[in-house]
Amino acid sequence: MINVLVTNLPYLLRGALVTLWLALAVVSLGTLLGTGLGILATGGSRVLRAVVTVYIFALRGIPVLVVMFLGYYAFPALGVRVNAYVAVGVAQIVYVGAFTAEIVRSAILSVHPGQAAAARSLGMRRGAILRAVLLPQARRIAVAPLLNNALTAVKQTSYASVVGAWELTYAAREIVERTLASFQIFLGVMAIYFIICYPLSLLARWYEKRLVVPH
Amino acid sequence: MTDYLAQTAVLLAALWPKLVAGFLITVEIATAAAPLALVFGLVLLAPRMDRRVFISGPTVAFVELMRNTPLLVQIYLIYFGLPVLGFFPSEFACGVAGIALQHGAFLVETYRGAIESVSVRQWDAARAIGMSRLAALRHVILPQAAMKILGPLGNQLIVLAKDTSLVSAIGVMELTMTGKLAIERSAASAEVFVAIALFYLALTTVIGGVMRALEYRVAGRF
Repeated sequence: MINVLVTNLPYLLRGALVTLWLALAVVSLGTLLGTGLGILATGGSRVLRAVVTVYIFALRGIPVLVVMFLGYYAFPALGVRVNAYVAVGVAQIVYVGAFTAEIVRSAILSVHPGQAAAARSLGMRRGAILRAVLLPQARRIAVAPLLNNALTAVKQTSYASVVGAWELTYAAREIVERTLASFQIFLGVMAIYFIICYPLSLLARWYEKRLVVPH
Repeated sequence: MTDYLAQTAVLLAALWPKLVAGFLITVEIATAAAPLALVFGLVLLAPRMDRRVFISGPTVAFVELMRNTPLLVQIYLIYFGLPVLGFFPSEFACGVAGIALQHGAFLVETYRGAIESVSVRQWDAARAIGMSRLAALRHVILPQAAMKILGPLGNQLIVLAKDTSLVSAIGVMELTMTGKLAIERSAASAEVFVAIALFYLALTTVIGGVMRALEYRVAGRF
């Protein structure tokens, strides 16, 4: 029974490696993009703020799979030839960026306005206030939601298989089509995803607990 | 530019009936899965919060497995796994079941979080004036938890509505699948997915608006 899983494990692990690379790229670049946009969303320029707000609102209301299809079909339509990984990766980075931007924005806004006012009255400039006063306090609040966000992003990489990028879930479907051992293979794949995701989950919960101030 | 707009308009007009039909199926999936998930979360709540480890342990294991693996793989497991056992449910049913199972696992944590966020002193006070555990839960804890739960609940329902798009992977002709087929079978282009994105945006915005209105009403009652 379990033999099917054992003989196909090397193939699945190769898929898992692709999943890991994809996840690493999406999470790091998505978080970077989102952090920048989140900071802009609290900044002075009204136009920039509006643009970022619309970006956050639109992306958060759309399924990531639709954004991935959009990326997959839009690049060729614009005359740019990219492989499935780039199309899917860019789409996911843009998507994860929107969620990250919202987390960063609300974390900065949750810092008491008196803090920025006090810093300004000391003669600090906007950049210095952000760097030395707002961001250190916002970071404490944002860490746990950002980790949960990363967790979701890792799980979302499996949707790349629907658009045609080969990774862990795609590899699993290939094996199931060949062997019909759907239970063994998909449960095995779930175990692999679990091993990747659970540490992130635990870390997020640890940070959440640290933030709770006892009554 | 005007040429392009005219072409796109003609294309979307031709596809419009199909898109609306797909959208209705998407709404159907969501309205079938949401109550199931809400109830499944409630069913898991008692064993999840049970003090006996042989009851809470397996529940925690199940909930964590569902929360830490992709919904897509869970849907595949149901869709490709059940026929091996001799069951042949429809694609629609498999999709709904997968969504309900994962979101139920997320919702039980939402419920638990809301209940535990009510201060322990409220418990102590209710018990001290002689209320039974059940009465304390009903009259003191749950009303306070209900207020805190609506926000996270609304977010979860929005995620659920978006997750219905994954059912396209097992061949249900909902909104996302309609767009994919339109591009693969006819000369439609990427613009179709912009239209589809707007459909989803409308759906999630309505859900968000309704949940926020509900929050205001509940908050006004206390």
